[in-house]
Amino acid sequence: MGDPVAGYTSRIQQQELEIHSLTAELESLKNPQGLGLSSHLDGLREENAKLKYRLNVLKRSLQEERSQCSKTMMNINQRLQEIFGEAIREACPDLENPPLAVTPNQQAKFGDYQCNSAMAMAQMMKSKGLKVNPRQIAENIQQNIPDNELIEKTEIAGPGFINVHLKRSFVSKLLTNLLLNGVQPPSLESKKKVVVDFSSPNIAKEMHVGHLRSTIIGDSMCRLFEFLGYDVLRLNHVGDWGTQFGMLIAHLQDKFPNYLTVSPPIGDLQAFYKESKKRFDEEEDFKKRAYQCVVKLQSKDPAFIKGWNLICDVSRNEFQKVYNCLDIQIIERGESFYQEKMTAVVKEFEAKGLVEMDEGRKIVFAPGQQIPLTVVKSDGGYTYDTSDLAALRHRLFDEKADIIIYVTDSGQGTHFQVVFAAAQMIGWYDPNVTRVEHAGFGVVLGEDKKKFKTRSGDTVRLMDLLDEGLKRSMEKLKEKDRDKVLSTEDLTKAQRSVAFGCIKYADLSHNRINDYVFSFDKMLDDRGNTAAYLLYAFTRIRSIARLANIDEAALRKAAETTEVLLEHDKEWKLGKCLLRFPEILQKILDDLLLHTLCDYLYELATTFTEFYDSCYCIEKDRQTGEVVKVNMWRMLLCDATAAIMAKGFDILGINPVSRM
Amino acid sequence: LASLQMADPLTLFTSIGLSEQKAKETLKNDALCSALKDAIAQAQRVLGAAGVDKATGTLLYTMTSRLRDPKRLGFLTDHIAQRKICTELQLAAALEFVKSHPQDPINQQEFESLCGVGVVITPEQIEDKIYCTSDVCLYCDPVPSQVLHLLGPKTEADLEKKPKVTFHTAQHREIKIEGRSLMDELRGVALNFHKPGENYKTEGYVVTPKTMDLLKQHLEFTGGQIRTRFPPEPNGILHIGHAKAINFNFGYAKANDGICYLRYDDTNPEKEEEKYFTAIKDMVEWLGYKPYEITHASDNFQRLYDLAVDLIRRGHAYVCHQRGEELKGHNPPPSPWRERPAEESLVLFDRMRRGLFAEGEATVRMKIVMEDGKMDPVAYRIKYTAHHRTGDAWCIYPTYDYTHCLCDSIENITHSLCTKEFQARRSSYFWLCNALDVYCPVQWEYGRLNLTYTVVSKRKIIKLVEEGTVRDWDDPRLFTLTALRRRGFPSEAINNFCAKVGVTVAQATMEPHMLESCVRDVLNDHAPRAMAVLEPLKVTIANLPEGIRNDVRVPDFPANEFMGSHVVPFTRTIFIEQSDFREKGYKRLTPDQPVGLRHAGYVISVQKVIKDAQGRVVELEVHCCSSNEASEKPKAFIHWVSEPQKCEIRLYERLFLHKNPEDPSEVPGGFLSDINPNSLQVIDSALVDISVSKAKVFDKFQFERVGYFALDPDSTADKLVFNRTVTLKEDPGKM
Repeated sequence: MGDPVAGYTSRIQQQELEIHSLTAELESLKNPQGLGLSSHLDGLREENAKLKYRLNVLKRSLQEERSQCSKTMMNINQRLQEIFGEAIREACPDLENPPLAVTPNQQAKFGDYQCNSAMAMAQMMKSKGLKVNPRQIAENIQQNIPDNELIEKTEIAGPGFINVHLKRSFVSKLLTNLLLNGVQPPSLESKKKVVVDFSSPNIAKEMHVGHLRSTIIGDSMCRLFEFLGYDVLRLNHVGDWGTQFGMLIAHLQDKFPNYLTVSPPIGDLQAFYKESKKRFDEEEDFKKRAYQCVVKLQSKDPAFIKGWNLICDVSRNEFQKVYNCLDIQIIERGESFYQEKMTAVVKEFEAKGLVEMDEGRKIVFAPGQQIPLTVVKSDGGYTYDTSDLAALRHRLFDEKADIIIYVTDSGQGTHFQVVFAAAQMIGWYDPNVTRVEHAGFGVVLGEDKKKFKTRSGDTVRLMDLLDEGLKRSMEKLKEKDRDKVLSTEDLTKAQRSVAFGCIKYADLSHNRINDYVFSFDKMLDDRGNTAAYLLYAFTRIRSIARLANIDEAALRKAAETTEVLLEHDKEWKLGKCLLRFPEILQKILDDLLLHTLCDYLYELATTFTEFYDSCYCIEKDRQTGEVVKVNMWRMLLCDATAAIMAKGFDILGINPVSRM
Repeated sequence: LASLQMADPLTLFTSIGLSEQKAKETLKNDALCSALKDAIAQAQRVLGAAGVDKATGTLLYTMTSRLRDPKRLGFLTDHIAQRKICTELQLAAALEFVKSHPQDPINQQEFESLCGVGVVITPEQIEDKIYCTSDVCLYCDPVPSQVLHLLGPKTEADLEKKPKVTFHTAQHREIKIEGRSLMDELRGVALNFHKPGENYKTEGYVVTPKTMDLLKQHLEFTGGQIRTRFPPEPNGILHIGHAKAINFNFGYAKANDGICYLRYDDTNPEKEEEKYFTAIKDMVEWLGYKPYEITHASDNFQRLYDLAVDLIRRGHAYVCHQRGEELKGHNPPPSPWRERPAEESLVLFDRMRRGLFAEGEATVRMKIVMEDGKMDPVAYRIKYTAHHRTGDAWCIYPTYDYTHCLCDSIENITHSLCTKEFQARRSSYFWLCNALDVYCPVQWEYGRLNLTYTVVSKRKIIKLVEEGTVRDWDDPRLFTLTALRRRGFPSEAINNFCAKVGVTVAQATMEPHMLESCVRDVLNDHAPRAMAVLEPLKVTIANLPEGIRNDVRVPDFPANEFMGSHVVPFTRTIFIEQSDFREKGYKRLTPDQPVGLRHAGYVISVQKVIKDAQGRVVELEVHCCSSNEASEKPKAFIHWVSEPQKCEIRLYERLFLHKNPEDPSEVPGGFLSDINPNSLQVIDSALVDISVSKAKVFDKFQFERVGYFALDPDSTADKLVFNRTVTLKEDPGKM
């Protein structure tokens, strides 16, 4: 690549030339004779004009790209935030991190969205000793709103609200795009890798309602990430390692001595577990043998591994039944997977001098955390702390995850906070770059608001609960005489759809952080914010086009040729509601609270009902019942509503049926 | 057979009866030579090597030299070899037939019937027929009756003597002052032009599988009407050369009941200014034409863009990143981007539109080699400049090469008339329309009109204005149309001049006096007479009482008194030209010789010559008598004014001393060094009779015995300013 000295020489020569010409220019500036002060000036002015022109072209292209070129759905709220963000920066360039608040308006008279930043900005200024009327700030913001593709007009109301009215043509165009492209995710900056750790029951133990919550919530989060275009790894962090396996294998050896050749018929693992536990507690000899079994297992003795696998398989089969009912895809990667890796993790902490000895235990204190992590027990064994650290490390470095979510009950919140703090301390990740989060949830209560138990006081077996759901759902369908209308096949489909849909929806529609009351009566009610209501509403919307004899192809054609008119208030309201879908998803992406999506779907269904009650989609002859007129743009609105609802159901893991 | 085929072409050609001279000429034309070889080989296959006799050979030669569509060569050769076509006339009909039926399949029956295949005619039959057919037939071989039938009965048009189209050349040309009218000329030229919808009959027109359908649609749209356009770039003022284009385009449409658009070719955003748009329209209207519609190339920017996308998609254009400098000079390197996939170009073209490239970083180029060897002309380039009409909507602008033919196509132009320089762009014109499968108009070229003793280029006129040599673009010494109007040239005269120049292919270089002669012709009939004295000499009529004031009636056109008259006062004090009095030896006024006063009916004789201290004549005292009373008829009549109005008069001569001021061999110092110092002479206190006091700007008069004048826009209520349009007679010194 040439001689570096020559390169530097020529650079210096160029710089010297530059100095000469600047010196000459300075001289000529001192002597202000003649008009040709700088011969470059005209050239520079022209260049500047061209650059400005190009800037304008580029800005417009950006807008164009946002509204047309991409198939992605636009997040209107986000776009408005960008616009107002720019306007606020222009209006108050001196204010650092000014608050940016744009929300949809519930009342039509205040416009479609509103920006409420002016009040908070006035507060900020006040704290700096500047007294400015928020209304004036609002006016200033309003004047600085940049050229854009979606705002029809803005007006200032009250103390400084800026009400935003959207362009009807713009909303109509977005709806057409929605119809033509289908429900597409909003655009993604980059394709990130997400690990969701959910469900995670313990081998040889029964799955309980707590696992049900984790499974339902975790699955829905995965579905959301997947729809948004992320690369999602669904992990089932099962409890498949530890001392209990010594006792189980010892008991297995006693009960089924030929387990290595003949598969033992362990139907009820729960009972098997109880038996071994009893012996462990009562028989000293058995206890000793159990510990020996643990050592054998950890040394990977094939006979013991085989026994371990047999026990795990029994559990897996049980779990899979639940997963099949709920349509859950998940990869099992239990504690045993991280067994080898834990040693390395402990060494790494020791090497960095982060390990303290405490009465024979090795503990790690993370900054800001009261409780230390125990990475090695006094007997040399590892703990949940160790395996969770090893799992986190593996997910960060081997899976190269950008986002890691743990879906467990809120009771484990503190534990995870300490694990995350320790991982940051050792430098595994930077929370500003990698998002590692515990998405906790409350406990499930019975209708008596007490811990969810069977009448006999036992924990409720999940399969029993699901069967109960199927039974209740069929009762409900029969109550509505659906068995007389639907074929057996359709009836069974509807039964499963309603039963599992309702169980999931009941869980997801409540803020996960709160405890929630499990009630079949409530979840199967077809009024109110329930899956039953939404599923009925959805099938009804889908039947509108069918009853008017308009097939998919005709709707598709209409979407290409018919403008979605939004002249009626209810059309306008529905249209805007439909387009809020991306901003709802964006919000969930931030807070992982899926009930927002349920609330939105419920709002959409009721908004649709309002529309359907006041706008004729099909006009029929009163006498003959013949279709006289089809208002195609309204059929398109029905179609768009169905599309958004379907995608919403899909994210919630609910499987709607075409007839019910 | 083999030996003949192997023989050299010269032997081959003479063997079929061509003279050696003709055979040698044929060899020089590669295309003809190879076509003829093919035809002979094919005829020999039918007839055997010796079978191609002189008659057949001559027909083959005529056929190959006149056939334009090579795919019909075999077809016609067969007919000649089989003696189905055995006369020149049959051949002419056959050639006409294939020209009119460019698409397969040929209806054999129709063809044979129209070409008179199989018809034998006896000399007696010919004798019967020969006197009642068109004179064309007199020169012919035996005429098949079907051909006569085809020619139809004699029409009035046949009887009328056909005006002969004069093909002028720059070297030796003859201008007939008593020429035909412009409309006649245009109808005359029209003889060469194709009829609307028959574009394919034009030499060089390219027929594609879509052509006939497109022509059909075109005809349905236009209803067979002639459509032309005058397409100036709105970046300068029109000059005398444009007058020809305006006359040709508007005139041809007008003469043939067609329509003509005024289309501003405003694809270049950097040069356009509002003033040019209005000035162009004014000038078109001044010449007496009304555009059917005023259009702009920029009206079609979106359409043109969509077509460019289509062109790229069809693989006929690509985005190129060669720099402007790389493409300068002879044989620039071919573009390395030429074969990039269309999808890639489409993406890049969209990025060009969206401002993702800097100026010069990307262009769209069409995959065609032009007549002059220029490879892949540019269709679109980036310019970060606002456009006069589309504002900031675009940052890519189409080029002339890309825009022109497509705008013609969009407007369904039938005859795209342009000057001869554009001949090199004709093939790309046809190519582009065909590459996009859009209607393809026919480009017809005509010779440019140049004038000697002037410059017309925008840049040079700007220089003259900057140097202060002329006042502005409309300085009457220039040959811009605004200048000519200001100088008083009637538009009619300019149109007549264009008609005389003729609408021919050859370039015409004319001298200004030709134009001036046209001006005189018009002004003689249309400029009313008035009297003005440029260098006044006061004359006091001693025998008239003080205060007397007679009205003298002056006819506006002495040759035709019915065309009106005006009245001027006649008082004791009158003014005459200083040059009309000399102290001796003169045929006008001298102390010894009386002279008549025009229109006044008086004859004056000098009584006293009053001089100033320097001995200059400052006043005359005369005696006057009625011309009836005068002893003898005066030898001369002079003009005069009384109670006149003062005015400024500007006299113009040629701006340049040499015929071709731009020619460095004639004017080595450049055109600025060739300015005629006497090109403008201002007389600021001339006297004019009061009949002109109500004149409006550009009103034209003949100041008797002085010349033709027009009122200049510089005139104020207090002071009239007149430009001398032309002198009364051509100055022999100026020839």
